[in-house]
Amino acid sequence: MFLAINEIRYAKTRYLLIVGVVALISFLVYFLTGLAYGLAWSNRTSVDDWQASGIVLSDSANKNLMISTFDEGLADSVNTPKKANLYALQTVVLKDGFDDESQKINVSFFGADKTAFIYPEIIEGRDSAGSNEVIASVSLKGENKLALNDTIQIAGNTATYKIVGFTKSLKFNTAPVIYTSIDVARYIRGNMMVGPAASGKSNLISAVVVRGIAADSSPSGLNDKLKYYKIENFILSIPGYQAQLLTFGIMIGFLIIIAALVIGIFMYVLTIEKKSIFGIMKAQGISTLYISKSVILQTVILTVLGVAVGLGLTVLTSLLIPPAVPFLNNWFYYGLISMLLIIMSVLGTLFSVLIVSKIDPLKAIG
Amino acid sequence: MSLVELKNVYQDFADGDDTIHALKKTNLSINAGEFVAIIGPSGSGKSTLLTIMGGLQKPTGGIVTLNGHNFSRANPKRRTQLRFEEIGFILQGSNLVPYLTVEKQLELIDKVAGKPFDIVAADKLLDSLGILALKNKYPSDLSGGERQRASIARALYSNPSLILADEPTASLDTVKAFEVVEILAHETKQLKKATVMVTHDERLLSYCDKVYVINDGVLMDKTGFYRRV
Repeated sequence: MFLAINEIRYAKTRYLLIVGVVALISFLVYFLTGLAYGLAWSNRTSVDDWQASGIVLSDSANKNLMISTFDEGLADSVNTPKKANLYALQTVVLKDGFDDESQKINVSFFGADKTAFIYPEIIEGRDSAGSNEVIASVSLKGENKLALNDTIQIAGNTATYKIVGFTKSLKFNTAPVIYTSIDVARYIRGNMMVGPAASGKSNLISAVVVRGIAADSSPSGLNDKLKYYKIENFILSIPGYQAQLLTFGIMIGFLIIIAALVIGIFMYVLTIEKKSIFGIMKAQGISTLYISKSVILQTVILTVLGVAVGLGLTVLTSLLIPPAVPFLNNWFYYGLISMLLIIMSVLGTLFSVLIVSKIDPLKAIG
Repeated sequence: MSLVELKNVYQDFADGDDTIHALKKTNLSINAGEFVAIIGPSGSGKSTLLTIMGGLQKPTGGIVTLNGHNFSRANPKRRTQLRFEEIGFILQGSNLVPYLTVEKQLELIDKVAGKPFDIVAADKLLDSLGILALKNKYPSDLSGGERQRASIARALYSNPSLILADEPTASLDTVKAFEVVEILAHETKQLKKATVMVTHDERLLSYCDKVYVINDGVLMDKTGFYRRV
């Protein structure tokens, strides 16, 4: 402690530079983590909001909610204590009265009964009353400048809906979610004149969301055209989700290793430079353990400082970036990464400890 | 009573197929309060003798006793501990840590020993060496003479029984060199230490109680010779 701190105080500029490098690398790691988490979140938040155990989709849909359709009658036979029917579709809406390209918004429509457990809470405005009113993710307000009582038009036809309430930010596959009734959702799909509903079948749904069953069990009474997926598996197969997670994960992992290497190399060079003074210390009877502890402690101090500055920069950035950037702070991940950075940099310093242990005090004399 | 005792100590090195007898069988005994000089040309075995007395290496044979501890049979960990407790080193350049102030050089010793810093004792020691006013300076801010005084303070602070000084005046002018050796001689008597100084400078020998010359690994007592000179 004594040696470590006094040396940092003595050679402020040198150690400030190291802290700066660690801060920049850790900032990059945290920022990427925030982006990865934000993006992951905007893929899955609507699903997380269901607090479901699993979901029943048509077997042929390959876990893709937007492709899955089956007869409502089949849902009745799904045997589970808590279930909710869902009709989902993706489309494009325009803020009413605008027709230019920049005003087009990709959205997901989720049709559900108001009494179903998947129907979201309203945090602003009121619930819809009547078939031309909808409630929408509040992210449409922040990111797309839509306000309460604004009217949206389904792109490509004349149907318009009034947003009377906002839910908390709900997104599916990065598109904001608008909740309506199952009937209205079917009607929108019908008007789009694509997909099976267009043929006039009016009793289709996309999925049965299941809540409250054990993770390793599945509901009985499934028709063989249907298949039950655990909610985590379902989320992982949201198109692009897993690929994004892997990409970010690999980048973050490598950056943590690079941070450890950079610190390790810095400490190594500094240790080599101090070999002679360490030799004299050893001759004077100061143990390798004491010197090594001071080298490791120095690393911990530098990394903790660097990580703290990096975190500060990240929080500052998160306050300044526009809402359209899918960035979300997650303190659990930040904590985990901070621990990893510190542990990895200490591992990087073990090379230096090896050098210290090999210094021969005999060389200090004569 | 003798603080340092070397009995039949010798050191051999393997050099290819040959064996180099760096130090031949040596007997030496130094009492508390005794200031001993060792002179000799380079390659004579001076450094070998110093490192054996300092517990930095084990002799090939013989027994080294330091303040009652058998140094020559101790394991490296124990020798490190004995060096810390029983020996003060004063080295040619400086034995100071560049990034510690003069006072903190002394504080380090207490830190390593796991004791609270005895600032009163430290100030007293610095005062007796005439460098109390420099206690907040770094070694790089000191002159050569001041640095060696600080080195002496560093060596004395842990209250060792043996002081080993390796060319302590090598980088000093005559006046400073005499000053430093005078302090060393004074502290040796005052604090009842055994002090061994390796030097080239024969003018300094007048301060020493005993003078040994080493040549080709053979240590000879030449006190009488240098007294006459």
